[in-house]
Amino acid sequence: MDELAKFREIFLSFKIDSIEAEMEKLLESGVSAQDLLAACQKCMEEIGKKFELGEYFLPELVIAGEMFKKVSSRLRPILTATDKESVGKIVLGTPKGDRHHLGKDVFSILAEASGFDVYDLGVDVAPETFISKLEETGAQILGMSVLITTAFVPMQDVMRLLEETGLRKRINVIIGGGVTTKDMIQRLGVDAQTRDAYEGIKIIQSFMIQREEME
Amino acid sequence: MIPSSGKIYEKDRMTAQERLDAVIRLERPDRVPLSMMLYYYGPFHAGVKMSDYMTKPKVYMQTMRTVYEDIGPWDIYYNINPVSRLMYSFTMMMRYLYPGKELPDDVMSQVDEIEYMQPEDYDWIFDTNSKYVDFLFRARMIPRFCKDGEKLGTVSLWLKLAMGLLQQKLFWKRDWKWWRARGMVIQIGYQAEMPFDMFSQARTVVPFSLDIYQRPEKIRDAALKLAPSFAESSIQTARFMGVPRIQCYLHRTSNDFISPQTFEDLAFPGMELIINRIIDAGLTPILHCDGNWTKNLKILRRLPAKKIILQLDGLTDIFQAKKEIGDHMCLFGDVPAEKLALGSSQEVEEYCHRLIEEVGKDGGFILAGACEIPYNAKSENLRAMVEANYKYGYYDE
Repeated sequence: MDELAKFREIFLSFKIDSIEAEMEKLLESGVSAQDLLAACQKCMEEIGKKFELGEYFLPELVIAGEMFKKVSSRLRPILTATDKESVGKIVLGTPKGDRHHLGKDVFSILAEASGFDVYDLGVDVAPETFISKLEETGAQILGMSVLITTAFVPMQDVMRLLEETGLRKRINVIIGGGVTTKDMIQRLGVDAQTRDAYEGIKIIQSFMIQREEME
Repeated sequence: MIPSSGKIYEKDRMTAQERLDAVIRLERPDRVPLSMMLYYYGPFHAGVKMSDYMTKPKVYMQTMRTVYEDIGPWDIYYNINPVSRLMYSFTMMMRYLYPGKELPDDVMSQVDEIEYMQPEDYDWIFDTNSKYVDFLFRARMIPRFCKDGEKLGTVSLWLKLAMGLLQQKLFWKRDWKWWRARGMVIQIGYQAEMPFDMFSQARTVVPFSLDIYQRPEKIRDAALKLAPSFAESSIQTARFMGVPRIQCYLHRTSNDFISPQTFEDLAFPGMELIINRIIDAGLTPILHCDGNWTKNLKILRRLPAKKIILQLDGLTDIFQAKKEIGDHMCLFGDVPAEKLALGSSQEVEEYCHRLIEEVGKDGGFILAGACEIPYNAKSENLRAMVEANYKYGYYDE
């Protein structure tokens, strides 16, 4: 029998209280951290697909995200540099004036589970902070999440600063959150908008594919 | 200018009250009623400090009147300003950060979501045999999350709440006189977060998601246990205030948070009991449905027809909702915040026109913003809403 079958079964039935014990058992038995992380990512992908199909809702995404956090925080220190294959880097935050974090947090976990390096700046983030983090990390993507219109002006400021610093040419920008609409893509000059964290992951994956094709 | 007839516009054939009553019954009124759902916008329009506006009733009163005189008229006065943060916290059960206190003077208040309820608190609800269990539960939780209730003992908390209720009544009495003299109808007699939604916020998203998996019956049964007490205190408070409408907040019951199955199994039983009791008492529930409710609408059809207002915030497709439930409930909404803050007045007018033509077809519709009017809405866009209502909102005789 596949030695990871039970791990997957626990993960996919959202038994969060059992996931760490099973992971430790597998590590002791010699299963590599890389295989465990890959299994974990596969489960997240499966759960994401069911979310996309409307079979799962936020609680399933949130619990899966928590399980992923537990597993990855244990595995990351023992993974070698070559194991940690990053598919891209994203700087993430809720702009100044807004302290909501739920949507951003869910997106952050999903992005990490999909292999992105995530630099989560938290909430109430000043435009300049977004810019300096993008410069420091060399991230290809900027994600801003908002729930209230207070954050519209700071988002406009971020877009202006991206142009002024010349960063806009190399950065894809995605915005998300309950108060955003497709109209804002044009109004703010961003590349994409979503109200759905899982759709957001598909979008940032497509950004990376487009980049590869252009290179 | 105030029309001598007590009507909003001279060409109206009904008063605002008659208009509102007609749309609740899903009848065709003379004109689509307009509710601006305007609160945070006030101080930015009038140039007063948000911190003063939220804590000084006189400043609030004057600010709202200035906005109305600059932008009005409309039909329904969205009366939300609480006399104190303690009262606001008691009804909404969220931890509010206030301008001038935890936040700068000129910003909106914000919710700081903290986990103040533990799994054993569900058991406390089951073990408490009192007809006031909802009130007792709220009073038990308040010191855990409300900054103005943190150091209060039980007796002082109760006294402060009783005083707050009385102050609120006196404040509204003075305030409403002005609005009623302009022919307007008051929207809310009482407002509160519904039990299931209160649990979701009190536990916060991750623990509550786990509760849904690990102790679903407790959520359902605890919400059901609070429901009769919630209904009774809402009814009594609305009667005390003298407005027969109760705004029931459903911030966490949409399909953005839970599945239609979870809604049906865990949230709906308690909600149904509350709504039925409010209606049986002769009052109108206003369901404030944040998020996307599309998949819950079929279940909402089990509630009594032609007795309920359904407020949608732009995340539920209101045009689809008209087809699915427009023959059952009065729809309320939904000019998007994004259009009001960033769009042009022409866009706003076009959207209002479409709402009036499609959602307002044959009545059963109240034109309003999607949830609250954003603080940074353009004044010309709000005027466009008022003008669109006047231009397109009249039904043929």
